Amino acid sequence: MVSGNKSSDSIDLKGAPLSLAEGARGALLSFLRETLDNGLLDALLIPMKVPAGDSYAWVLVKDKSLLEDANPFAPIMPVQGARALSSITKHGAPDLRIGAVLRPCEQRAAIELCKLKQLDMEKVVFITLDCPGVIPLKDWFSDPEKGETQFQQLLEKGDFLSPQMRPVCQICDKMSAPIDVDNATFPDIHFALLGVPENKGLLIPFSDIGNELLEKTGQALSSDTQTWQSKVKEINAQKCGKRKTAHEKLDKEISGPEKFPKAFAFCINCHNCMRVCPVCYCQKCYFDSEMLKHSADTYLERSMKKGSLWFKPDSLLFQIGRLSHMSLSCVSCGTCQDACPMDIIVGQVFAFSSDQTQQAFEYAAGRNLDETLPMRIYQEDKELPEVCSMCKDVLESGEDQ
Amino acid sequence: MSDTFEPRIVGFFCKWCTYAGADLAGTSRLQYPPNVLPIRVMCSSRVDPVFLITAYLRGADAVLIGGCHPGDCHYIEGNYYTRRRMAMMKTIFESLGLEPERLRLSWISASEGPRFASVITEYTENTRKKGPNPVKSKVFI
Amino acid sequence: MSKILKTNKGAEKCLQDFLKHLLESGKAKAVMALSKTVATDQDYTLNYSLISSTEELDNALPFFPLMPANAGKLVSYLTLKGPISAPIAVVLKPCELRAFVELVKREQGHLDNLLIISHSCGGVLTFDSYLNGNLDQDIKAYWGAVRKNQIPDKVRPTCKACIHFEPYTADISFDLIGQDLDQTCQITVMTDKGESILDGFDVKWTETKADPKTAQDLKALRQKAKDGLFESINADIYGIDNLIDVFGRCIGCHGCSNTCPICYCILCDFESKDHEFEPNIFEAEIIKRGGLRVPPNTLLFHIGRLSHMGISCVSCGLCSDVCPVEIPVSTIFSKVGEAIQDLFKYIPGKDLEEKIPLTKFEKQEFEEIEDK
Repeated sequence: MVSGNKSSDSIDLKGAPLSLAEGARGALLSFLRETLDNGLLDALLIPMKVPAGDSYAWVLVKDKSLLEDANPFAPIMPVQGARALSSITKHGAPDLRIGAVLRPCEQRAAIELCKLKQLDMEKVVFITLDCPGVIPLKDWFSDPEKGETQFQQLLEKGDFLSPQMRPVCQICDKMSAPIDVDNATFPDIHFALLGVPENKGLLIPFSDIGNELLEKTGQALSSDTQTWQSKVKEINAQKCGKRKTAHEKLDKEISGPEKFPKAFAFCINCHNCMRVCPVCYCQKCYFDSEMLKHSADTYLERSMKKGSLWFKPDSLLFQIGRLSHMSLSCVSCGTCQDACPMDIIVGQVFAFSSDQTQQAFEYAAGRNLDETLPMRIYQEDKELPEVCSMCKDVLESGEDQ
Repeated sequence: MSDTFEPRIVGFFCKWCTYAGADLAGTSRLQYPPNVLPIRVMCSSRVDPVFLITAYLRGADAVLIGGCHPGDCHYIEGNYYTRRRMAMMKTIFESLGLEPERLRLSWISASEGPRFASVITEYTENTRKKGPNPVKSKVFI
Repeated sequence: MSKILKTNKGAEKCLQDFLKHLLESGKAKAVMALSKTVATDQDYTLNYSLISSTEELDNALPFFPLMPANAGKLVSYLTLKGPISAPIAVVLKPCELRAFVELVKREQGHLDNLLIISHSCGGVLTFDSYLNGNLDQDIKAYWGAVRKNQIPDKVRPTCKACIHFEPYTADISFDLIGQDLDQTCQITVMTDKGESILDGFDVKWTETKADPKTAQDLKALRQKAKDGLFESINADIYGIDNLIDVFGRCIGCHGCSNTCPICYCILCDFESKDHEFEPNIFEAEIIKRGGLRVPPNTLLFHIGRLSHMGISCVSCGLCSDVCPVEIPVSTIFSKVGEAIQDLFKYIPGKDLEEKIPLTKFEKQEFEEIEDK
């Protein structure tokens, strides 16, 4: 993983072309197989079809024969990749060089987890890909085979705007390597599919390790990446517009003390959303802890005050509280929404809300590994005039101390 | 890796009886197969059923709990609870079509060095006949 | 004691009036029941509520066939820190009541000052039919089947197979199954407390006798459904390969344990550090297996959870309903749970005085599992 400013238009990147004769999956897999073969990587973290064939799961693979069932372009995201990577490295890096094949949002979540000290990147080689989104689990399980072919088709067509993907995927403006972002952290290698010559995919190295991997597997950096870059920027800009419209619409639907509870009216307090969230790493969630449990008489009193008390209580406290805990690191992956048994649009709400919290601090979750989490730093009197009148005075008077 | 299958058996032995029995077997220079990985516990009832499942899923060819004879428990009644839990675990394994035979419960006292050696010998041979635990090679556990 | 009373009033109306009477007379300070919580565009947005005003009671739908959370777990949550100081009434379905009794045995709740109202239960709708079905039509069909002593169509699989559809330890039970619910209401007064609380409720009761055949018929029907369900699930889960197939899609959200009424641990063993792998374990495991599913311990979680709570599983079916990937968790837990319970001839939640089998023993038993 490497950070730096690569966003100018004149960015000079080269890529190694891979033939897509066997599809995007086949092309990337054959490269990965080689890295295992040559001992460049000791293991791969990659989505793999489960034995029943109806879902995917993350597998840490050492034996390359297992790669038969692997699919870096899994049509679904049952477990967020950063969560899988964190489970391997949170107690320190294993003595293995692991290639993690992730989607861009998974890499962003991994960066956040690294800042939160829940993931060790030292031995990890990040390989990301152009991501068309993923199919919601509910749609997938109604007919996995159909989902598989559908996804295959839109991958071949290069359709990155499909309405069949998760709602947050449809408005994701970070579906590729962050070339359009100032001062971002890049993966070691990115596998590009957009705007590339026909029947070719491009392996684009961003770091020394990435270059080394390509060199040692005999991949020549013979292709120009300008068309990919402009296509990525074009799609991202398009989706950014969609995101804005979608969030304006959502704002009207859920904002305000009347409407917000309605969005969560069906919540049954299973906390699935929290358990699958890649950045909710606490072993014991505060909202499941003893801190929120009170005596029976307290609950009775609360009920008397309002006439009725929704039970289990504090359901909205959980939702808003969780926003306060993790929205600055939310990568809008939508895994929470997939895990909700009551079809609550929790992923959309969280994406909408975290966009705003992150903007307030000019922060973007997972953008740059070296950026400090906003809640860990402050500027004494120069920030957030809207919440602090003294800061406002200082800023307005132009005084600088 | 050799081709012949050597069973790996995880043994949870109570400190007061079975573990001391194992000691006696050793000091009496009794021969028994080296296939058991002994884990000393203060009482056989310290063994949470989850220990058995963990050992099984992580590839142990067999799991053995060794405790004091009923009535002889150092903590008066620990081993009676162990027996109930073992009955439950075997039922769970049976219902799920796993292999309850790979879970065993033996009462071996501190004075029964020869019994320890014979139980281990018989158990190792049985497990060898049964073959390796199929879970050992599964990726999706 | 057990006394059966009948009156000429619709069952739902009768319960509504009774709850109102309890609040008005001060016999109960509040009522826990299913009710409409937040008004949305949908007709029914139901959750449990602790209701203390009679106006709010109009929103209550205590008999609505839905279980958004196991109310036994909720009553435990309410009384966890100690008994409530004022009397309250709780309306629980039989399996919710059994779950609460199991929790009380585990010192996770207090029965003091609770008036327990229950009812014979036709089952509850699956979340899928609640959210996506034609509710009005489904509800009509549901009550039709309940009146006719049949198994409703859109209820949870474990409800169809539930033979404990009558409450064991309630104070008052409303008999719904096989009854004419619009014109009459039949109740079973099961305790003295129930009897005394009925005093002053302005309804003409006539004592009557129960027809045991109704319950027997339904029990036979459900038993048959259960045998069929268990047989089919057995074919799906038997053996390690089948288990991997069934649980392969698990996404590790642990919704099943979070909503399980029996799983009360503050920090689940399987979410604790004890079961996280150190880096060297990953290395060892992938050398042995060629690869390892991560996060690890999917099967350990499910089989381990069976060993922890299977003895008390009340087959409420919530775990299946919250599973986002449609694993038939409750059917599996119900089947294996029953096998364990049969071993000790134990019916969870039937009797508060009966100890949990794993916390007691006989000196001579299960000798067949010991090495000779």
